[in-house]
Amino acid sequence: MTHILQAQSVTKQFGGLLAVNAVTLNVPTESIFSIIGPNGAGKTTFFNCVTGFYKPERGTLLFDDKPLIGRRPDQITGLGVARTYQNIRLFNEMTAIENILVGQHHRLHAGVLGALFQLPRTQREERQALEEAYTLLEFVGLSGKGDVFAKNLPYGDQRRLEIARALACKPKLLLLDEPTAGMNPAETDDMMTFIRQLRDELQITILLIEHDMRLVMGVSEHIVVLDYGMKIAEGTPAEIQSNTRVIEAYLGRGSVFAND
Amino acid sequence: MKHSNLRNGWVGGIVNIFLILLGLTGLAGTLLQGWLGLPSPAFGVWVSLLGVVVWSAARATKASGTQSWREALAGGALSGLLSGGIVGLLVGLLATLDAGSVEIRQWLVQLTPEAIALLTFGVAPWLATLLVAGVHALAGLLGSALYFAAITYQWQASVKGVLQDAGHSISQTQVYQRIAGHPSATTFAYAAGAILLLTAPLYLGRYWNYTLGTVGLYVILGLGLNIVVGMAGQLVLGYGAFFAIGAYTVALLTAPTPHGIMMNFWLVVPIGVILAALSGVVLGLPVLRMRGDYLAIVTLGFGEIIRILLKSDALIEFTGGPRGVRAVGGPSLFGIKMNNEFYFTYFIIIGIILAAYITAQLQKSRVGRAWMAIRGDEDVAEAMGIMTLKYKLLAFAIAAGLAGLSGVLFASRNKFTGPEDFTLLVSINVLSLVIIGGMGSIPGVIMGALILKGLPEILRELSDYRMLAFGALLVLMMILRPEGMWPSTRQKMELHGDEEKAETSEHTEPARGVA
Repeated sequence: MTHILQAQSVTKQFGGLLAVNAVTLNVPTESIFSIIGPNGAGKTTFFNCVTGFYKPERGTLLFDDKPLIGRRPDQITGLGVARTYQNIRLFNEMTAIENILVGQHHRLHAGVLGALFQLPRTQREERQALEEAYTLLEFVGLSGKGDVFAKNLPYGDQRRLEIARALACKPKLLLLDEPTAGMNPAETDDMMTFIRQLRDELQITILLIEHDMRLVMGVSEHIVVLDYGMKIAEGTPAEIQSNTRVIEAYLGRGSVFAND
Repeated sequence: MKHSNLRNGWVGGIVNIFLILLGLTGLAGTLLQGWLGLPSPAFGVWVSLLGVVVWSAARATKASGTQSWREALAGGALSGLLSGGIVGLLVGLLATLDAGSVEIRQWLVQLTPEAIALLTFGVAPWLATLLVAGVHALAGLLGSALYFAAITYQWQASVKGVLQDAGHSISQTQVYQRIAGHPSATTFAYAAGAILLLTAPLYLGRYWNYTLGTVGLYVILGLGLNIVVGMAGQLVLGYGAFFAIGAYTVALLTAPTPHGIMMNFWLVVPIGVILAALSGVVLGLPVLRMRGDYLAIVTLGFGEIIRILLKSDALIEFTGGPRGVRAVGGPSLFGIKMNNEFYFTYFIIIGIILAAYITAQLQKSRVGRAWMAIRGDEDVAEAMGIMTLKYKLLAFAIAAGLAGLSGVLFASRNKFTGPEDFTLLVSINVLSLVIIGGMGSIPGVIMGALILKGLPEILRELSDYRMLAFGALLVLMMILRPEGMWPSTRQKMELHGDEEKAETSEHTEPARGVA
């Protein structure tokens, strides 16, 4: 089994606080991999290390066997890592389609000269980009809403648009930070189907942070549990559910999985 | 419903007062007479004044979204009456003052007794006020009737398109195409504006060519700054520094003193532009890592440093010190010397067209989207694969280059330049005109420059109160119209997205309820 992302004792420190403490994990290619843990466990910090916004003090991060530490966020996106945010961060003053076009940025080439002289190459590229953007919009179920400003979209649509924008980067690895936060059970079910579809149809590896246990247990093939920045458990959903350390540290009284 | 009528009536009235004070009644009346072949200057004046009212009444009708003839007409008349009331009071006041042998021209250069007579129809002041208000009300009636008829009877798409364009209407499903493409009506308006621009210098005398040239130089500056502030969202305050670099490049390379290089003007133009752009990159590299207020403060410092260096005794051998540089060279072509205001007006127009073209093309390209993304959320932009530093530098360099171009033309036209040409006020003026005109909007920047640089030139005697007036204008703008006088489609929708949506839904079924 090949691993698309290999983290070796990654440590990120803020002053005296060890936000991520010697975390080692290997994400198999084309898997759905979840990171769970109580609030403040270091999940989002780990995402920020992978995407290049934080520079870990110790450890190595390999994506497709290429080191990530020391690369800028835009370079890491260029390698094929895209993400969404826990609190949706769209470009509110841009339309849905423009948001997706921004996601395509690193795959397009037009520079100042191309734009100024409207070279045939630039025009062709713009046309293709626009077509592709509309396809993506349809894929996430937002057809017809391309010209709506992102801020005017309803909450669920904003979540979908954020994923479409991340997909526009043509990622091999997609980092989803609590994609169902604020969703009702029916919407969460849709999201579960959608995440599987992403992996099955687009062959994208999914790295997921999530609090909704139904989703995590339903969709993940592999789970890592963080607590106070440390990895406390790792395994399949069934293994995690029966892991006493996890139940103690995070899941509490065990009643959560009473129906299993 | 009433609200939109009042607001548009108010705006129309203010625009007309500006037009009157700007000298529409005097110089422009004669010009319009010449251009359009009208029988008397009064005709041109009233056609333009009432055109404004017709336009604002049409806008008001659209915004009110009314579905009945009676309401539309009443609203139009109301907005016309309001504009007319304001303008009428001004006209009455001017006429009274004039009759009372107060020398109005002392403050308002353009208002000759003849000009006032044109406005008052030659009757007593109080009657003139009533007459003006009445005529405006009629124009308002006409505007609302025209607009209402257009949407009710589904006039041909083209007519509707032009009218809707005038009213800045936009259908939600066409936003992207609107922003990216050029609708025919807008293109037509630009073309008409261009023809007007190209023939204007021929009619205008030295004074007007000089004044409008100054306005034009600020339009180039404004369009440049607009790229950094409006598009990429980086607040830069010391923008005048790049203007100074352009001006001093041409001065030092073409003047007999202090260096005696006396290069050809046409060679110096690209050198000035490139030097300014390069200095933009050099300044930008360390500075653009900062964000928001910090960036503003650092660039402010840079602007002052450049001015003080130019002024300092330490560099007197190199820059000429506080006395500046005299006898700056001008352009010539085929042996014709082109260093007077008349030729420079054309060079400046070419500069404006160039700057506007660059702005328009970049705005709708991948580069423009990258800038917009950076303006929206710099971290996310980076996570989407945009090398933010590169794009911010690019914006900085292009803006600095345009400022350099403006500076080259400025120094060469004045045949002189000195450190006091580049005070902080220059940078503040440019920033103000971008904000007042409408960020991200090309016509907005032109309008802002006309108001901020043209008006003080005309109201020269009031120049002591200029800063006061700027301050008041900025505060008023931020409260009443934060998107600027002539906002870009995008800005308008960002700030009034909900209103637009409401209007659009009414457009889909315009004829309903008409009986």
